[in-house]
Amino acid sequence: MTRHRIINERYRMFSETAARPDDGPEFSVSDDIAAMGFQAAAGSRVLEGYRPVFDATAVSRLKAVGRSLVGKTNMDEFGFGMFTTTGPEVPRNPFDIRRSCGGSSGGAACAAAVLDDHVALGTSAGGSITSPAAFCGIFGLTPTHGRVSRYGQIDSVSSMGSIGVLASKSSMLRECLPVISGKDRMDPVSTVQPVLKLGKKLRSAAVPKGITDGVGKDVRKAFDDSLDVLRGMSVDVEYVDMPSLRYALPAHYILSVTETATNLVTYCGMRVGKQDGDLSLPFNDYFVSFRSRYFGREAKLRSIMGALMTSGENRNAFYLRSLGIRQLLLEDHKDVLRTHDVIVTPSMPSVAPNFSDIEGMSSVDRYVTGRFAVPPVFCGLPCLSVPCGYSGGMPAGMQLTSDHWDEGVLISAAEEWEKMFPMKRPEVSV
Amino acid sequence: MKIGLEIHVQLPTRSKMFCSCPSTGAEGPNEHICPGCMGMPGTRPSLNKAAVEIGIKLARLLNCTVPDVIWFNRKIYFYPDLCRHYQITQYETPIGRNGVYHLGKKPIGITEAHLEEDPGSMTKSGDGALIDYNRSGMPLVEIVTDPDISSPAEAREFLTSLLKDIRHVIDLPDDGERSIRCDCNISVGKERCEVKNVSGLKNVERALTYEAVRQTKVLQSGGKIVRETRHYDEERKVTTAARKKEFAGDYAYVLEPNLGVINVKGIAGDIVTKESPQGMVSRFQKEFGIEEKMAKQIINTSMKLAELFEHIARKADTENAVKWVAGPISSNWKILESQMPGRTDGLTDIIIQYKNKMINDVECSMRLKAFITGGTLSDMEKNGADLDALIRKAVSDNPSVIDDYRKNEKAANRVIGAVMKQTGGAYSSSDIVEATKRILDEML
Repeated sequence: MTRHRIINERYRMFSETAARPDDGPEFSVSDDIAAMGFQAAAGSRVLEGYRPVFDATAVSRLKAVGRSLVGKTNMDEFGFGMFTTTGPEVPRNPFDIRRSCGGSSGGAACAAAVLDDHVALGTSAGGSITSPAAFCGIFGLTPTHGRVSRYGQIDSVSSMGSIGVLASKSSMLRECLPVISGKDRMDPVSTVQPVLKLGKKLRSAAVPKGITDGVGKDVRKAFDDSLDVLRGMSVDVEYVDMPSLRYALPAHYILSVTETATNLVTYCGMRVGKQDGDLSLPFNDYFVSFRSRYFGREAKLRSIMGALMTSGENRNAFYLRSLGIRQLLLEDHKDVLRTHDVIVTPSMPSVAPNFSDIEGMSSVDRYVTGRFAVPPVFCGLPCLSVPCGYSGGMPAGMQLTSDHWDEGVLISAAEEWEKMFPMKRPEVSV
Repeated sequence: MKIGLEIHVQLPTRSKMFCSCPSTGAEGPNEHICPGCMGMPGTRPSLNKAAVEIGIKLARLLNCTVPDVIWFNRKIYFYPDLCRHYQITQYETPIGRNGVYHLGKKPIGITEAHLEEDPGSMTKSGDGALIDYNRSGMPLVEIVTDPDISSPAEAREFLTSLLKDIRHVIDLPDDGERSIRCDCNISVGKERCEVKNVSGLKNVERALTYEAVRQTKVLQSGGKIVRETRHYDEERKVTTAARKKEFAGDYAYVLEPNLGVINVKGIAGDIVTKESPQGMVSRFQKEFGIEEKMAKQIINTSMKLAELFEHIARKADTENAVKWVAGPISSNWKILESQMPGRTDGLTDIIIQYKNKMINDVECSMRLKAFITGGTLSDMEKNGADLDALIRKAVSDNPSVIDDYRKNEKAANRVIGAVMKQTGGAYSSSDIVEATKRILDEML
């Protein structure tokens, strides 16, 4: 058995692994990124057995610079979750296996935390990289929407988010982001990007007033201490008003369930994935029975909510209004980012919770854990989670959000941060 | 009676709308497919700019307003031949809206024209069905008319005229590779029914006629028309209920986030739109003061003939353009067509000589013929003299014709018929007609 498989027995980060051809550098991708030779099921039973005949652009670009793809990482079903508990396998937190890795790219963060020099590509459409990066104590970079081609990404939400990089060292961000970035004619959204510029130093940071209200004491302390570290790096830290932040979550969920509902209509037991429904049924009944059987609870909930939000008069009341709120929120962010390099918030309101605590949470309880991680992605802005403190051995994260296309300042910030902050790696006993 | 049509025109692009599969020439089912037009998870649509350009041309033909920016929407419905179960179409920003098409003097309102992709096609086979995705992702423009059409016959007339214009303006070849399909909405009373997916002009008229009669009968017997989608059975020539009609809200049109917003203004500026045959008919009437019938005759013969007419009308004058284009040029068009527009100047020069009185009527006619057929002038003169002699003989064999001709020009047909029979195709019918009339006029 390969070392990856042995480690996987304990942490369950991979849905599928491949033998490494050599000792060269390696990478993994989450289960929703297409790669030839691997299943791409996006954490869903609906797509079990789907083996794409093409590589995602990000995959082919990393392969082209000599990295080997060693596995697909577990995630929430179609990215629906903050704890990677809705997919077929639940990865365990490298700092305490009774706790969650965060999500939805939980397997990716776990792999990046546990394996040496491992680059994990994950995806986010609202906190799915920030959350697991914070819970697993690593760097998690979510690029600007459109920076990285999403050709080959099986997305449930399409108008926001990105493929991003999770890694335990800032040097890997600097190495890999330029590789996977850039125009790709297979994804029109990627073709309007300006060139990625590295090297801009972090000079100023804005902190939304009252941002730590309701945040756990341990995370608040880690965050406040981190602001001092930033000041020590001669960064101007200023408090600002961002009143529209409170509307971000409901508007984000309305838009994301709406897009989810349309993206998930594709999956019905035809052409790809599982196709073992009762073929003697009329096609509508076949689709209904198949979807009822193989979609998880959260996928069904979001599909139904999404259909509801766009049907009849709801379209104006919910869908179009949420588009308006996104615009408002974007303008607020832009206003702050005109005079500051980044906006700084905690990544998550707590450290990684126990699986037993997660079980008791309602859908809404789970959604609100994304209240810091969702807004930047919702606005298409790039953001970075860095480990910023430890409480009871569990890492807490700080999130930095920069202006569109300005990933450069985030990567410089990660490198500076790595010099100033004593990061801990989990002890891996296998 | 109110009739509105939704016309689906497959666009003559080389590749499909959102992938690079070829749009024509498949030798069997499922040959021109790729992960993109199969809707494989992870793929993304990439817009074919040519489809937008053709869309703009059609919108202009229909006198529509073209927006500065457009985007696409997803129209959701479950059907096995729709590979993603949503169709990429346009909802808020159709490529054209608020247009009008002039059918003679009658304006037919155009609600909108929007770009969309075709789904695959399904054929029943035994207990199941077979799906061919060659058609999946083919670019379409759907033209939606206002309910301004007042009879099935008018619908057919409208479609005939519109299709002629469309074929010319977007260079749509009539090779059977690209289909034109029609959804027909008709109401006799208040509620309407939609007959889906009718192909062929004849079938449109038949389906509408059947539906008009059916609805009238239902209403006369005190029944109510239910809003529904109906299917036209080409063999039995009847319409049958297919399903209850959805309303727009049921399709949950959401933004297609993978294509972004497209700046049409930038594209539209560079597009030169060809004049449509119908547009040319009205322009010829206005600009040259010719009869609609004459304009149609010239334009329907060939757009090249129409261009020649316009050239001569400008270089010489309208009177001579009509006289010579409708006369000897039209009658020899079959020979001439393949050589156009290369011979435009030569023909025009001869007519200008006539206009300047350098040559007479007969000479002009003969020179034109010689120029077109490549014969020498003396051949033409000899032939013409021979023909004249034959006609004079036919008249003298039949002297009463002159008196009859004085009363009714049709009497000339007796001479024409006799000469045609005698010469057995050695002279063109128009030459015989022309010469006979000239000779009879001289003899009066």
